[in-house]
Amino acid sequence: MAEKINPKIKTFDQKEWVKTNLSYKKDSGSWAWILHRISGVALIAYLFLHIWSISPLVQGKAAFEQKMATYSSTLFSFVEWFLFAFVLFHALNGVRIIIVDWADGAKYHKQLYLYTWVIGILLFLAMGLIMFSHIF
Amino acid sequence: MELSVKILRYNPEKDSKPYFQEYKVPGVAEDWRLLDVLHEIKWKLDGTLTFRRSCAHGVCGSDGIRVNGKNRLACSILLKDLNYKKTIIIEPLPAMPIIKDLVVDMTSFFQKYEVIKPYLITKTPPPPDAERFQSNEDAEKLFESAKCILCGCCTTSCPSTWTNDNYIGPAALLKTYRFVFDTRDEAPDERLDIIDNPDGIWRCHTIFNCIETCPKEINITWHISQLKTRLATREF
Repeated sequence: MAEKINPKIKTFDQKEWVKTNLSYKKDSGSWAWILHRISGVALIAYLFLHIWSISPLVQGKAAFEQKMATYSSTLFSFVEWFLFAFVLFHALNGVRIIIVDWADGAKYHKQLYLYTWVIGILLFLAMGLIMFSHIF
Repeated sequence: MELSVKILRYNPEKDSKPYFQEYKVPGVAEDWRLLDVLHEIKWKLDGTLTFRRSCAHGVCGSDGIRVNGKNRLACSILLKDLNYKKTIIIEPLPAMPIIKDLVVDMTSFFQKYEVIKPYLITKTPPPPDAERFQSNEDAEKLFESAKCILCGCCTTSCPSTWTNDNYIGPAALLKTYRFVFDTRDEAPDERLDIIDNPDGIWRCHTIFNCIETCPKEINITWHISQLKTRLATREF
């Protein structure tokens, strides 16, 4: 689309998108976008972990249950709780993006971002209560 | 009051890459515009400093620069709205080729702007005895989008622009809205076809940097969302 500038003029090309992303002042929209990407990649990583961890199913019941035993520790429950946090953010922010694109969400996007966090944290704590009530 | 500013300098005839130069500007008041500070430096401290400005009142849109990490118009920002007790960092607009100091090459920005045909297209002849009619209500729908002064702050603040040279950018999309939703225009589909492209409207990830930076406070993302809805529900 865009052609290169007049080659006779010597210019300095500022094409450092990582540096620009890190140094540009970020507001709620930027953070939502960055966290959406991070949580998305984390969920893909989780998907592979999930497939790998249920793969002993093909070796029979004993192998599967041995594998599952490693996942039933309290520490792992804690990790799972944070996995839920990633799912929550990705899902709620996804709803926020739908409202922005399809309704008039762009007019109150900052409030929507705040609601994403408020609802997210409430559901996160509620899940913690469900998951760890047998310990405390 | 003495103000400390750090400005990114680049002279293509001498420097291989840009570097920061610090200035201590005496006699500054908090109701000064940032442009006044740049003038003070250029007129009294260092005549080699280069920057663009024309009207100096937020209408021409030529003095878009990056201040403390965020794009702004130098003439539309007062020192008291910045954290002036600390050093103010001034850079050229990001992701654009620097010609000298704060002057960037805006060629690609205007090329993208021209792509969407930023002029009224009509196919029927005008009424013989009057102008093409538009109701007040229909005109009001365009007021916000027509406020754009093409300073380039939005397009150069967009992370999609930083990673992709070819992304059309929020300024051009806002202008698309201005003509697609103009009741007198007779080629909305022509423009929609142009922006219905992976490097067109669909590279907008609703990051909202354009709204945060717009010196005219236009809700650009809302206008883009109207175009997205229009495209997604278009009938052939």
